[in-house]
Parts: sequence; C-alpha cells; structure tokens
Amino acid sequence: MPRLSASSCFCVAVLVVTARICAQERVAVGPADFAPVLAPAPGEARTHVAAFLLDRRPVTNAQFLDFVRSHPQWRRDRIASLFADREYLSHWAAPDQLGESALPEQPVTRVSWFAARAFCAAASGRLPDWYEWELAAAADEKVADARSTWTWRARILGWYAQPGSEPLARVGEGPANVYGLQDLHGLIWEWVEDASTLMVSGDSRTQGDPDRLAFCGAGALSAQDRENYPTLMRLAFLSSLDARSTARRLGFRCAAEASP
Amino acid sequence: MKACRNGYLAAALLMSASVATAQSGDTSDTGDTGYHHHEVLQATGVPGDSLYQLELPIETAAGVTVPLSSLRGRPLLVTMFYSHCTSVCPLLTAELQQIERGLAPAARSRVRVLMVSFDAVHDTPTVLKSFAQSHHIDDPRWTVARAAPGDVRVLAAALGIRYRELPDHSFNHSAVISLADQEGVVRARAVGLRAVDAQFLDALRSIATTGAASRPGGE
Repeated sequence: MPRLSASSCFCVAVLVVTARICAQERVAVGPADFAPVLAPAPGEARTHVAAFLLDRRPVTNAQFLDFVRSHPQWRRDRIASLFADREYLSHWAAPDQLGESALPEQPVTRVSWFAARAFCAAASGRLPDWYEWELAAAADEKVADARSTWTWRARILGWYAQPGSEPLARVGEGPANVYGLQDLHGLIWEWVEDASTLMVSGDSRTQGDPDRLAFCGAGALSAQDRENYPTLMRLAFLSSLDARSTARRLGFRCAAEASP
Repeated sequence: MKACRNGYLAAALLMSASVATAQSGDTSDTGDTGYHHHEVLQATGVPGDSLYQLELPIETAAGVTVPLSSLRGRPLLVTMFYSHCTSVCPLLTAELQQIERGLAPAARSRVRVLMVSFDAVHDTPTVLKSFAQSHHIDDPRWTVARAAPGDVRVLAAALGIRYRELPDHSFNHSAVISLADQEGVVRARAVGLRAVDAQFLDALRSIATTGAASRPGGE
C-alpha cells in the first residue's frame, strides 16, 4: 500500500471573507535525489527534492466551482484580464454553473496559472514545482522511477497521440502510481509553480529561436535525456505558455509542504 | 476522509449562502480582507489588465516597503534584473537611461522607472543602494527594489519575463522592458537587448506628453 499521509482536510469555512477550499486528499512524495530531464544547471545532473505532499488527483470542475463561488473575483465574468485570457472557464455553462460540457468529476481545465495558484492558496497549498511534478510523474504502479522503461514511455506517448477532441475522462480513473497518485499522465497537462522558469535550450527548442537573444546569463538550460520525449513534450508545452494562458486540456493539482 | 466530505459539503453550502447574501447587496467585491500571504489580490478601481491589479509590496533601496501601486498615476518603465549580473543587466540599465535621455525634460520629469530584482536573498536594500550608485542612478524618479520570492514570480509572470535561478545564484532571465501607462496598463514591450524601437518610443512620448493615454472603449 502506498504511503498515505495524514491527509489535509482543512474545511474551515468560518466566514465567507476567510473562505478556504477543502484540500483534497494529499499523499507524501520524496525526499529524493534524482536526475531530472531538465538539468538543474550546466554540468549538474542531479537535484534534491525535499519531501512534499501532492493532491492524489487533479482538481475537478466541482472543486473549482466551489472556489469561484467563495472567491467570486475568480469567476470568468469578474476576473481581471491581467490574470486570464478570454477562454478562461469558457466551457462552463455559466460563470457559476458547470453544465454539460464540464462535468463535476472531470478535471477543471481552461484555467490560468494565476487562477490555479489562487485556488491552491485557498486550499491550504501551493502549486508543485516542476521538479516535484517530474519526480512524482516518474513513477508507475510498481517503481518510483519508471522513466527508462519502454512501457512508461509508450503509454504516455500513446496518450499524446490521441486526438485532443475527445471529452476528458473523470479524475481517478487512471491507475494509482507507487505514491497513490492518479492521472499524472493520460488525462491533462498540469500547471507548475515555476512554469515561467522552464526554458528549454537550443538542443530541443531554440534552434533559430528569435527569443534566444533575449536571455541573459548562461543561456537556456539543456535537456539531459533527449530520449525522454514524454517529459520533453511537457516542458515544451509549459514553456510555450504565459501565466494568463488557458487551454482545453490544461489543468492542475496542488501540493503542500510535508508535515514536519 | 468521510468527515472531510461532510465538512466539505457543509462548507460549500455555507459559502453559497454567504455569496448569495453578498451579491444581493452588490458589495461582493469589497471588504475582502481575509486573504492570506502569497495569494494574488485583485484590486478594484484599476483596469482589469493593469499591473496594479497586483497588490504586491516592494522594498526599495532606501529600505522602505511600498505597494507596487504607489507608482500609479505616472508613466512607468519597468524591468527586472539582479545586481550581481555582469552581462545583460548593466546593458538593461544603460538602455533605460538612454530611453530617458531621448525624452524632452518635461516629459522625462513625468516618467518613473522601476527595476525589481529577481534575487530577494542577496539584493538587500544595502546592495541595491550600492548597485544604484555604481550605475549612477540617483534620480528620485527611479526605484530599485526587491520583492518576496513568490511576489517576484507573480510580477515576472505579469510582465511576461521568464527567469530561472541557477545553483550558483545567478539567474537566467529574459530581458524585457515594459512601458505602462498611468493606470498600469502595459502599452509597449521591448523583448531582448536593443529592442526598444520607434514604436516603443512613440508610445512613451505619447503617454508622457499627453497625460492619460486614450483607451479603446474609454475608462
């Protein structure tokens, strides 16, 4: 049985002005030393990820609906345009109603980084960092680091190959990995806290990239495992977004500090 | 688990009831004082796309902490940097100074310049002050500041600046100068070095000379 943390259920709705969202069940991941696909620095292969908690599943439409009801400034008709593009929650039937295109148990998508971040803050958490996400997503049902296995890659690439027009499945239908986490692959893309720090280098993205001159310092980082297409595609996708961006298959889950 | 679900429902009901009450009074956007640190606050009374939607505090080289929105009311040139950067950041600073020199004195006197550091740990007010001195930044219209790490991330996100801290505490970052109007709405961006073009300068002159820039659809 995977290690289950004492899950954080802070359902303290004292007054609407201090409304918090009920944190969903979170499981413990790490600490771990591992070699991420995105090198920490030129010449450095490994990084340390401290223990943290991660939502077992992506945040659902139902949970996000509760959030916008208690934090109405994040409704699609009230959100400041600095914080989301025009497609924010556009598949919902109304600013405070889900409707047929957004079932309660489907993952919430078309949410910006700002909105995802605000949700997690209200749910006593934060967005996971990329390395935390990469560590958690490296696992399969049997081992903590399945990245080099053919089945791990083939399964994810198989998902990438599916047409994007099909309706999203409900959360929690995918197999649980060794930590007890579900749907890290095969359902949606997920925001990370440091999405705007993901700069993929000339090896994989900046060939002739006009942005290259815009970067200061040692230049963009390089991917050290160029065979790891599933992770590189995540990186390429996230690095193409800005913090207002929303997308039909882009959602999130929250993380939190591990209890001391 | 079960207790959580029950509590969750109760919370949702309570919240819905409270929201309904607030809406009937049409005051739901005011009086939201219960937010916690790291949550992005949304300001009322400024345009939705204004940088001043971010109510984030900045600490200046003088050691004074002020809200970002204290710069509201003036045209603003804003960029992000870190003080021990030896390659691009000095050029960014020089570029800002050069932009300013291109303005007539009256227009220049209206413009504010803000440089916010990526490096909340090392760029203390003392360090920022010495950075300002060594780059001949002595005009009170200039603000060199740092912000808390979470706020740095939010500001960079709002400005479309990508950055990453390396283990040696240097930063990879994109070089972006943004021009915001009096209300904090970004009117022009220069991405990369020497990327300030005629269009950027025209926008700056227009905002700095005529006061409030015309907004499509009015205020």
